[in-house]
Formats: sequence, C-alpha cells, structure tokens
Amino acid sequence: MARDCQQKLRVSTMNALRKREEVMKNKLFASIPNIVFGALLVIAPQTFAHACGAHDGMMPACHYSQQAATGIGAVILVLGLVALIVDPKVRIGLNIAAIANTVLLFAIPTVLIGICKGAMMHCRAVMLPTLIVLGVLVVVFAVLSIVFDTRSSKRA
Amino acid sequence: MANTVRNNTLRTLASRNLAGRPVRTGALLAVVTILALAFFGGTMFTMNLNTGMTSMERRLGADLMVVPQNTAQKAEALLTDGNPSTFYFTKDIVAKVKQADGIAQASEQTYIASLAAECCAEKLQIIGYDPATDFVIEPWVASQFDGTLEDGQMIAGANVNVSTDGTVELYGRRWSIVAQLAATGTNLDNSVFINLNTVPEMVAASAAVSQRIMPEEYAHKAISTVLIKVAEGYDAQTVAERIKDLDPSFTQLGYVYPGGITATTKTALNALVTYLAVFVAAIWIMGVIVLLAVFASSVNERKREFASLRILGATRGMLASILLRESASIGLIGGVLGVSIASLAIFPFSTLISRQLQLPYLQASLPAVFGIMILTVLCAVVIAIVGSVIVLVRVGRPEAYLVLREGE
Repeated sequence: MARDCQQKLRVSTMNALRKREEVMKNKLFASIPNIVFGALLVIAPQTFAHACGAHDGMMPACHYSQQAATGIGAVILVLGLVALIVDPKVRIGLNIAAIANTVLLFAIPTVLIGICKGAMMHCRAVMLPTLIVLGVLVVVFAVLSIVFDTRSSKRA
Repeated sequence: MANTVRNNTLRTLASRNLAGRPVRTGALLAVVTILALAFFGGTMFTMNLNTGMTSMERRLGADLMVVPQNTAQKAEALLTDGNPSTFYFTKDIVAKVKQADGIAQASEQTYIASLAAECCAEKLQIIGYDPATDFVIEPWVASQFDGTLEDGQMIAGANVNVSTDGTVELYGRRWSIVAQLAATGTNLDNSVFINLNTVPEMVAASAAVSQRIMPEEYAHKAISTVLIKVAEGYDAQTVAERIKDLDPSFTQLGYVYPGGITATTKTALNALVTYLAVFVAAIWIMGVIVLLAVFASSVNERKREFASLRILGATRGMLASILLRESASIGLIGGVLGVSIASLAIFPFSTLISRQLQLPYLQASLPAVFGIMILTVLCAVVIAIVGSVIVLVRVGRPEAYLVLREGE
C-alpha cells in the first residue's frame, strides 16, 4: 500500500516536472527568437543593411522603408519580451501579431513605400534581402511556437 | 483489427522514438542539415559561377580591342565587372587601324559613363555601336530584339530601370527603350546600347543640363574602341603587331585581348571552384564520420530496446522497417532544413555575392535549381539510411534474451 502511494507520488512528481519543463521550453521558444530577430531588425537597417544616401538633398524611398523596418523590429522585440511573462494562450496571440508585423515588414519595401530601383543599389542588394531573411525566420519560429503552445494548451 | 493496431503502432513508433530521444535526434538532424547545406550551397555557388562564365564567354565576340593610350585597364574592366567609364580617340585612327592585315571583321564602339540615370539609380555604361558593321552585340541582341535600332532609341541591359512607359531618363531627356536584355552576370547588365548616330544627341543632351560628357568637337568623331575579329590563320597578337607597324604612334595605343581576359577569369574561377569542392568534400567526410559515430554510439542503448520489441513479437523485418523510417525521416527533415537555410543565404543575397566576387555570377535556371534541391534531399536521405545500416546489422545479430540479460 505504502509502496503504491510512493509510486503514484513519484509518477505525479515526474509528470509535474515534465510539464514544467515543457512550459518553460515553449515559453523560451515563443520569446527568444522574437527578441533576437526583433533586435536584429532594429540594428541591421541602421548599420550594415542601411538604406542609400540622399540624392540631391532628397531622401530616397528606401530611407523611409529603413525607418519603418526599424520600428517594426522594435515591436517584434517587445512582443518577444512580453511573451516571457504571459500564459500560452496569450503567447499564441503575440506570435500571430509577430507574423502580422512581418507581413507588414515585407510589404513596406516592396509595395507600401518601396526602395531604389537599381539592382546594384545597397538597399536592394543588402537591406531588402536582410529584411526578407530575418522576416522569414520570425515567421517560421512564430508558426512553430503557435503549434507548440496550441498543443500544450489543449493538453492542459 | 489486431493487424491494424499493430501497423499503426509500427508506423508511429519511428516518429515516437525520434521525439522520445530529442538529444540524439537533434544531433543527427544537425549533422544531416550541415551536410545538405554544404552540398546544396556549394553546388549552387559553383553552378552560378559556371553559368556566369558561359554567359561572359558568349558576350565577348571579339578577338582584339584597340583602345586609346592608357585605357586598356578601363576597357578590360568594362568586359568583366568594373565601373562605367568614358574614353575615346578619333574616327581617323579607326579608319587607319582597319587597314591592317589579318582583320576579318572590325567594328567601332563608343563608351560613355552616365551620371546616375535618375534618383536612386546607379551609373550606367552607355555603349554606342554601329549596327552596320557590328558582330558582337547584334548576335546576342537578336534573340530578344529583331528590329533595327533607330536613332534616339536604346536597348537596355537587365539591371537598367526602365519606367513603365518604356523609357529611361538620362541627361534630362527620356529615351525610348525598344528591348531589355536578359541578365549576363557581367557589367553589360548595367549598360544601355545606342547606335553611333545617337552619340552626338547624347552629348548635346548632357551639355544642355551642364554635365557635358565630351567636348562638342568630338561628338561626331569620338570612338572608344575598334573591335576586331581576326581572319583565319592569324592570331590576335600578330594582328596587334601589324596594326603597330602601320604607324609608329599606334604603339602607344592600348591592345586588349578578350580571349586572355576570359582565360584569366576562368583560372580565378576554377581556383575558387576547386577550393569550394575541397571544402564541401571535407565537410562531407567529417559529417559522415560524425553521423556513423552517433549511430554507432546509439547501438548499445538500442540493443535492449530492440530485444524487448523482439520478445513482444516484432520480426527482424519490422525492426528494420522502424529503423529505416527513423533514418529516412531524419534524412528528409535534415535535407529540407539544409536546403532551406542555404536558399535563404544564396537567393536573396545573389546580387551582393556577385558584387563581392567580382566574377561573372549568374543565377542558374529554375529547373536546374529544383533538380539540385531534389538531389540534395535524396543524398541526405541516402546518407542517413546508410548510417543506420550499422545499427541494423548489429542489433539484428544476437538473441533477444541474451541481450536483455547483458550487464546483469
């Protein structure tokens, strides 16, 4: 009888530990990529993946795309930080917001504001690909995180 | 009913085994991903360089270029991946040069470097050519434009920004573009082609906006190069010597041998491709060793797992099927991951890669890219399956009961 109780206690403790580990893992998975890629989206357009310089005192379209991308990066970074302290269901919402922001990130240099037309210009050769690669990574990790959080929410 | 349950269990057992051992699965996935990444990245890189080289060879139709004094380097840069430039001598020199022995065909061209065409565009190389004598540009252009290039019209290279109304603004004037050429991976992609009669118009337009590209008196007689195709039985160096013999002042002219440039570029490209192949081979050798080591190290812990399954009634065939499913899944996922990561680096950044390499770099065709993608994933699956065979052979051998009692 005592051995049974001990066994049950051990099993329930193991399950609780496993669940806690999974919750922590999902939390980190939902937040760290957004923090890292959000920070890179803030830093890259202002440093190595910058826009082109002014032409005849006039700022080109890519300059405004660069500024908007930096803002979107900051929002994704904040979403990642908030994901560290909220429930799985809220994290799902935060990651959906990160995906929506990334769609906006793609639309800004391609449709909404635009960049320089020249294929060899720095904004087209470096800034746009950098934004696209970081955006794709944000979307991939956000989708995976949504899947993991949805699964663990259902189990709970 | 029992069969269905058994099949379902066997089908899911492989994926559950993978999920139940995240560290082992992660290590195997990482190795296969690196192998796929190196293979796909290296192959695409090599293929793009070879496509660029082939394209460059096709565009350099002349055997010899005679250019003004001290401009040979600028002319060479025009053929490879240099900056646009303006240089010229006069038509009377051209007429004399054409009299030399060993010339089968000769045609003149004028090179003018534009300022940035419009806001946010890079400088263009304006190339004036004579459609009547040309043997270099027309054969290439013919596949995309079969009309005659009228005065004031232009043919644009692949990277030139053509407005939606089919024009390009240069020197405050909109020039009509009659065709835009396919990418070549060379400096010609940033060029516009005009006929020689349009050069004076261009000079006048530049003067009108106070950015004169050459003095007025040269507008009708400026020529940058004489492109020569040598006659049979002559080589380019011999013809160059014959030209120098025509007039002592011709020894001062620049002589460029496009064949030599192609050979030099090819040598640089071959060296790069060889380094790349050695690097990819080294990664594959190390990767396969690591893969075999991870599989081999899992043999001992898996012996007991498979022995238990044998006692529960699983046949050797079923065990083999579980193992093969596991390794094929790892190969497939790792292969797809490797291809995806490499694609994220190679495709969006192709312009930057081309600019940094200073070598002809041209994206290979879509069917070729898809072919390499499929081949990479297949290779990843095969290598993972081959790695798992080692486990298969070792766990299949001893009797289940003895294995279970091992270590007791």
